[in-house]
Amino acid sequence: MIRLESVSKVFKGDVTALRDASAEIQRGEFVFLVGPSGSGKSTFIRLLNREEVADSGRIMVAGKDLGSLSSWRVPYLRRNIGCIFQDYKLLSKKTVSENVAFGLEVIGRPRTVIKRQVPAILELVGLSRKADRTPDELSGGEQQRVSIARAFVNRPLILLADEPTGNLDPATSVGIMRLLDRINRSGTTVVMATHERGVVDTMRRRVIELDRGVIVRDESRGVYD
Amino acid sequence: MIYRLWYFIRETVVSLWRNLSLTLAAILTVGISLSLVGTSILVREGADRATAQFQEGVEFIVFMNADHTPDQDVAIRQVLDTSPAISEYAYIDKMAAYEEFQVLFVDKPELIESVTPDVMPPSYRIVPADPDAANVAELARQFSTQPGVREVATATDAIRQIEDFSTRVSQVLLVAAVVLVVVSAMLILNTVFTAIGARREEIEVMKLVGATNWFVRIPFMLEGMIHGLIGAGLAIPSLFIVEDQVLSFFQESDVVPLFRGFAVPDGFVWDTSLWLLLLGGTVGMLGSAIAVTRYLDV
Ligand SMILES: Nc1ncnc2c1ncn2[C@@H]1O[C@H](COP(=O)(O)OP(=O)(O)OP(=O)(O)O)[C@@H](O)[C@H]1O
Ligand SMILES: [Mg+2]
Repeated sequence: MIRLESVSKVFKGDVTALRDASAEIQRGEFVFLVGPSGSGKSTFIRLLNREEVADSGRIMVAGKDLGSLSSWRVPYLRRNIGCIFQDYKLLSKKTVSENVAFGLEVIGRPRTVIKRQVPAILELVGLSRKADRTPDELSGGEQQRVSIARAFVNRPLILLADEPTGNLDPATSVGIMRLLDRINRSGTTVVMATHERGVVDTMRRRVIELDRGVIVRDESRGVYD
Repeated sequence: MIYRLWYFIRETVVSLWRNLSLTLAAILTVGISLSLVGTSILVREGADRATAQFQEGVEFIVFMNADHTPDQDVAIRQVLDTSPAISEYAYIDKMAAYEEFQVLFVDKPELIESVTPDVMPPSYRIVPADPDAANVAELARQFSTQPGVREVATATDAIRQIEDFSTRVSQVLLVAAVVLVVVSAMLILNTVFTAIGARREEIEVMKLVGATNWFVRIPFMLEGMIHGLIGAGLAIPSLFIVEDQVLSFFQESDVVPLFRGFAVPDGFVWDTSLWLLLLGGTVGMLGSAIAVTRYLDV
């Protein structure tokens, strides 16, 4: 599903965010990216949905070589990739269901499909009763559920999560991780950057550790350290 | 809670006002510049028509009284045929004058109905051997004293002036218009840029979930185009005012001989209006296209 071959990314000012990184992630895997701040986790994730372009090496995602992918195809690539973030990126003037619907509207999904899929996905993330609230009326955990609903409503092949529990307390994080686990078990490949030991250690999934842009560890059923 | 509500209302009003004033500025500038473009076109066209019968070397026209006698014609022809100062001439009889009138005022049937061939003054269009202004003036003076002559219109003292004047006016207007069109494109660019800024978060989400570039861009380009179109819409009434007030001022003044006025047909104003709409829409599209390609890195 995802393959990196000797991928390097250097930002201006000679910051090497990723150096000669190689990894292969199979369909349906759940992978944690761990490492200290600035080690390149976010860069790794941003390379996968082509928000960044690698300086060298090759990246394959969902059968496409991102290096030779023409820019007009990028949106279609992203329709296969859901993204969630620490700051949720919800639109504050829209309600919960409007936020989820927005993600479908702007890729041209028909109204009837949207009407059917939005309530179903809100049911899945447990927010049916808060469909008409706006994000500022929700807790952090609930907001993250909305963003997961938006990312997953299109049934992407891959879900990228950059510190999705970064702003949440441990109990709420557990709920979010359960949700991500469910999504993963339905066949979606999940790549999640985190520096929360507890989350990684309870899940016991594959762990890729980065240090100053270099992959220093890659073990299945790993722990944080 | 009330404080928060007040905060939201204030923020919304402030942002709306900022955008509103920019939007109004952009629309008004488009309107003014397109008015100038349109006026320039009308003045040009009016001048072309006003001077139409003075083309191909015709320097002056001798208009006869509608009720002049055949002897008077003979006398004039005698001079025209024999004078070495006259290179060639053409006689426009009542019927020909009437036909020309019909062509000229094809869009004003009520005007055509109001005249008959009978009241049309026949005329001689004269090409002098020497088109020098002083010479033409002297010839005109001579002919104006001939019996049966109602009026002599010379190209030099009236028409050339009109031509000159209208060329200069329309050129100045055009230069001002071009400057203002550029200014309006820049204003539209700014307005659209502000709109993009206000919707930065939405745009980020759109890109994230895989909206195509055009899907992101088109609303902004439409916004710019609407600015241009509304501006053009404002300019169109000004064209009718120009036609009604400015052109008719020339028509009624005595510098242009008789019915051959400084006028454009009604349809011409509508045609020009269409061009202005097209130009306004294009300017708006261009301004927003630049804004979109520069500030939306999609
Ligand atoms: N757009 C950018 N321009 C320049 N340098 C960048 C950019 N993005 C990231 N970097 C640099 O690349 C390195 C890796 O950053 P990255 O965000 O991938 O780290 P991270 O592991 O996600 O850190 P954190 O845990 O703090 O989120 C850092 O040194 C960072 O300063
Ligand atoms: Mg990061």
